[in-house]
Amino acid sequence: MVKESKKTVYVSHPASGLARSNFPLETHVSDDKIIRSLPFHIPEDVRLYEIKTTSRGTYTRPRKEVQMPLAMAHKQRVHSKNRVRYPMLREDWSPEQPNTSMRGISGYKRISWDEATDIIAGELKRIHETYGSMEPVFVQADGHGHSGYMQSLHFWGHYLFDMIKRHLGWGSWTQQVRNPDSWEGYYWGAKHVWGFNGSLGEPYQDAVWDDVLEHAEVVIFSGCDPEATGLGMSGGIALEMPKWLKKAGIKIISIAPDLNYASAVHADTWIPIKPNTDAALYLAVAHTWIVEGTYDKKYIESHTIGFDAFRAHVMGEDDGIQKTPLWGEEITGVPAHTIKALAREWAGKKTTLSVYFGGPKVRGTLSHLSARMEAYVLAMQGVGSPGRQFLRIGAPSFYKKDLAQVPRYPEVDFKGLALNPMIEYAIGHAPVSPSFVPRTLAAEAILQKKIEWKSTTSALAKTEDQFKTYQFPPSPDHPGIRMVWNENGSQPGSWGNGWKWLNALRNPRIECVVGVHPWLENDLGFSDLILPAQTTYEHNDLVIVQRSDILGMFYQDQAIEPVGDSLSDFEIHRQIGLKLGLEEAFPPAEEWLQKAYEETIAQTKHGIGWDEFKERKYFIYDSPTWDEWVEIKKDLGFSERGGGMSQFWETGTGLETPSGKIEFVSSMIQKKDPNNKERPPVAKWVSHSESPDQPKSRDFPLIVMSNHARYRFHVQGDDIPWIQELQKVKGADGYMYEACWIHPVDAATRDVKNGDILKVYNERGTVLVGAFVTERIVPGAVSIDHGAKMDIISLRNEEVDRGGCINLISPTPQEKYGDGEIKIPEMNVTGFLVEVEKIDPTEINDGTLGSLAAQ
Amino acid sequence: MFAKEFVVNVDNCTGCNMCTISCKDEHVDSSYEPWSAPQPEIGQFWVDIKQQERGKQPRMRMSYMPTFCQHCAEAPCIDNCADDAIKTRDDGIVWIDPVACTGCGKCGPACPYDVIFFNEEAQIAQKCNGCAHRVDEGLLPRCVEACPHEAILFGDKGTFEQENNSVLKPETGADPRVIWRGLPKPWIAGCVVDAERDEVLSGATVKVTEVESDKQLELKTDEFGDFYAKELEVGHTYKVEILHDGYEPTIRKVALETDHDLGTVILAGF
Repeated sequence: MVKESKKTVYVSHPASGLARSNFPLETHVSDDKIIRSLPFHIPEDVRLYEIKTTSRGTYTRPRKEVQMPLAMAHKQRVHSKNRVRYPMLREDWSPEQPNTSMRGISGYKRISWDEATDIIAGELKRIHETYGSMEPVFVQADGHGHSGYMQSLHFWGHYLFDMIKRHLGWGSWTQQVRNPDSWEGYYWGAKHVWGFNGSLGEPYQDAVWDDVLEHAEVVIFSGCDPEATGLGMSGGIALEMPKWLKKAGIKIISIAPDLNYASAVHADTWIPIKPNTDAALYLAVAHTWIVEGTYDKKYIESHTIGFDAFRAHVMGEDDGIQKTPLWGEEITGVPAHTIKALAREWAGKKTTLSVYFGGPKVRGTLSHLSARMEAYVLAMQGVGSPGRQFLRIGAPSFYKKDLAQVPRYPEVDFKGLALNPMIEYAIGHAPVSPSFVPRTLAAEAILQKKIEWKSTTSALAKTEDQFKTYQFPPSPDHPGIRMVWNENGSQPGSWGNGWKWLNALRNPRIECVVGVHPWLENDLGFSDLILPAQTTYEHNDLVIVQRSDILGMFYQDQAIEPVGDSLSDFEIHRQIGLKLGLEEAFPPAEEWLQKAYEETIAQTKHGIGWDEFKERKYFIYDSPTWDEWVEIKKDLGFSERGGGMSQFWETGTGLETPSGKIEFVSSMIQKKDPNNKERPPVAKWVSHSESPDQPKSRDFPLIVMSNHARYRFHVQGDDIPWIQELQKVKGADGYMYEACWIHPVDAATRDVKNGDILKVYNERGTVLVGAFVTERIVPGAVSIDHGAKMDIISLRNEEVDRGGCINLISPTPQEKYGDGEIKIPEMNVTGFLVEVEKIDPTEINDGTLGSLAAQ
Repeated sequence: MFAKEFVVNVDNCTGCNMCTISCKDEHVDSSYEPWSAPQPEIGQFWVDIKQQERGKQPRMRMSYMPTFCQHCAEAPCIDNCADDAIKTRDDGIVWIDPVACTGCGKCGPACPYDVIFFNEEAQIAQKCNGCAHRVDEGLLPRCVEACPHEAILFGDKGTFEQENNSVLKPETGADPRVIWRGLPKPWIAGCVVDAERDEVLSGATVKVTEVESDKQLELKTDEFGDFYAKELEVGHTYKVEILHDGYEPTIRKVALETDHDLGTVILAGF
């Protein structure tokens, strides 16, 4: 049916996932072969927005929507050698003899879909009969995956088990709850200062660019790197926005341990800082302001509570230590004179602070203190006043209260797009299943008899949730987790202590592991049964352009025949549902798509019916004119060039904190958890188990800084040959090693040269990387991006990872608490201690995970 | 002759590699007769971003130079080809005829820009052919189409302003036809500090004199005490005088080979 010559198909972005996309690829297909993918050009009849300033010109976006290299290289992955082509069963697994210790080692045999769905139906029935509910099934279905509306979605496992519960009455399943992984520090910290539940602790971005481009004189890139992962999450606009700042004559100061990709080309000043010490820098900046009297005292009086306690802490009145710039220098490595210069520049010029998705700054141990402190210093300079904002580069369109960051009709935001309700399973307000485990504690939920923690970790939960205690298993006679349902494949590469997770999968209690994925990679190789999912090229779907400044919807036609016997993620779950008698809950995909589309204003207002939409392939919404935008803003209480936190600046109230104001002393922590030393009522600099002043650092003196990679997307695309050529270090043995940035001083003391193969290790294990000696990383730290693909081999009789998957040896939040209650189940996957040692390539014995030879 | 031209704006390039991958997307596994045979899956970079890490912490930046065939008017590869397989189109695109090429391998070493690759399997030389097949259809080369920052431009000759233009390695006499703007030239940088008070000195005067010519540049340190004397010449010697009211003047001499950082320059009070 699709074997025709030369057609153009709009294919959703391969990486951002979560049921929404950037603009799609314009893919040319000929004779069932993907020929090329071109950037999409927004047609001339779609009106683009203009942000008008009084004296700095007008700002808009180009019609050309570029794609990240991964998007174009993705065609190489469709037929890659580790593509799962058929349902595969581990050859030494059976319900009676699961041979759990062989996971990741033994091979697979090909089976039919009928056999596969029979096995699954049988296992679920067995679990229900043996244990009385589906709670022993741990469902990991919250990954990014591909960006189709529904077919390639990674959330269907939760829906399937929800339907089993509702229609078959087999009880709840255990839901893995995805923690706020890109917002960690803000979620666990800044929310206690200023609220913002809807945007996970970062201020809403309503019309923020109107204010910044009109007024700001300085923008601080605080660990902000839109060039890394930029095109994956926000489309081309993330690359465009820094250029707006330059055009407006705004100075960019970058604060980061690395000269990251955006800073390397856009920053006017780089302030290198030791990883995850930003809290100490902010304290020293605050000290300078207090000593010199250069903060906004009126605002502090009218807009905040508890400043006196913070001031007292800065001046050492509570602990006898003044947080002077020299004190800050000791911790951060930033010279005291630079800290003072920064403080004066910040106070003297209208300064906005900017971040991007989930940089290392907010994903280290206790990084919530840095994020909280950041909110404090912003408050000291009157955040919300003209030119003084918190700015999220890019265009995540849920970052708002009422309005988009750039001129857009509110009805387009709220009714313009088919938004998949499945999102609630992954990025929700609360777990859907009463039995749940935070994703940061997945391994512990299997390996420990009992875990107890605070917070559901649901992304959109209210701050109060962080003080509630939960546990797993819910009762002592509970069977615990017996089966794992893995649709993500990203646990060892994106979350903490991956080795521990792999060990958990080999635990004898785990009777069955089901993997649903297009590729055999990472922990998918630890499955007993692997179900082959399709790539976005292999099915029809909707493409919901929501990760962009311009919104629209596309109809994605199937581009090529499915590879092997693969089915879409949706169809896989549907087939299982049908086997279990859940026909009603699983209508065909086309019916879902049509219904979702018909609820949008594309149909209800613009009158474009489903068939017409499928014919024209896309509908892209106009932007308002500047004058219309100003009127829209006026109705919502914004002045012409107001935006960001300007309304709070004007009124001094209305935040989602108990006081409605910015809280230096968190009234909620004060009331509910006042003795928590890690998160005290007033944020402080707190040393912790991964700090360089701890005894452990004698053995492990270097700190890993782990950012998002520039060319892959989390764990996706690491094995694509074109992507490898761009980002890997070729070792003397010819292997493409993950790059490890190391400063010349640290390299010299370890006799390391460019291209050397290094082992990076700590008490959790070892991964191998390739040395890249550079001044772009601070001394004392090494930079290794997360998400490299695992490749387990034996070295000196130890299982090590040759692939450089650094999260295998990162901490989990549980480590600090032992068997006790985990007070903050944060994701601390960067800023941890290691040592690095050069190794001889002849030592490496080749050997990888179970192969797909049976195909 | 030479109706088209490429322009590379180094200052615009962020090193995103969209050009590199687009080129591979277009050419790997696809042939466009008569202009090109398929590029091998890996190993060839018809457009290759050469990176230059500049300066020392904390005064650093990256310069990226997307480098591809310079489509020379006096192309040494053409002169060295044993089979007359390398030809120049009327629009100026220099291309290697994959049918005529016998794989003698003489063109690669002759190229001053190191942009010709050898396809071992097909036994032919290959390089950027300006996406001739697209240009013939009125389309832009893929690298230009893919670039988010207008770092690579392509158009009819005369479309682009001719000011501040330069070419790569003009000394070779190859008469390259790709126009370059913003080619990196070295800087002398540093940070001026009063060590006693532990304060940066903002607004200090920095006079940079080229010893050979007495040409002088005067600038002020910024809010962080930093200065960058940019666009200097390799191989020249510079005298750097740092002056600030109330402080002893400091003089440094630099024989400039690459970006040079004076580090923290401490001024002593009178």
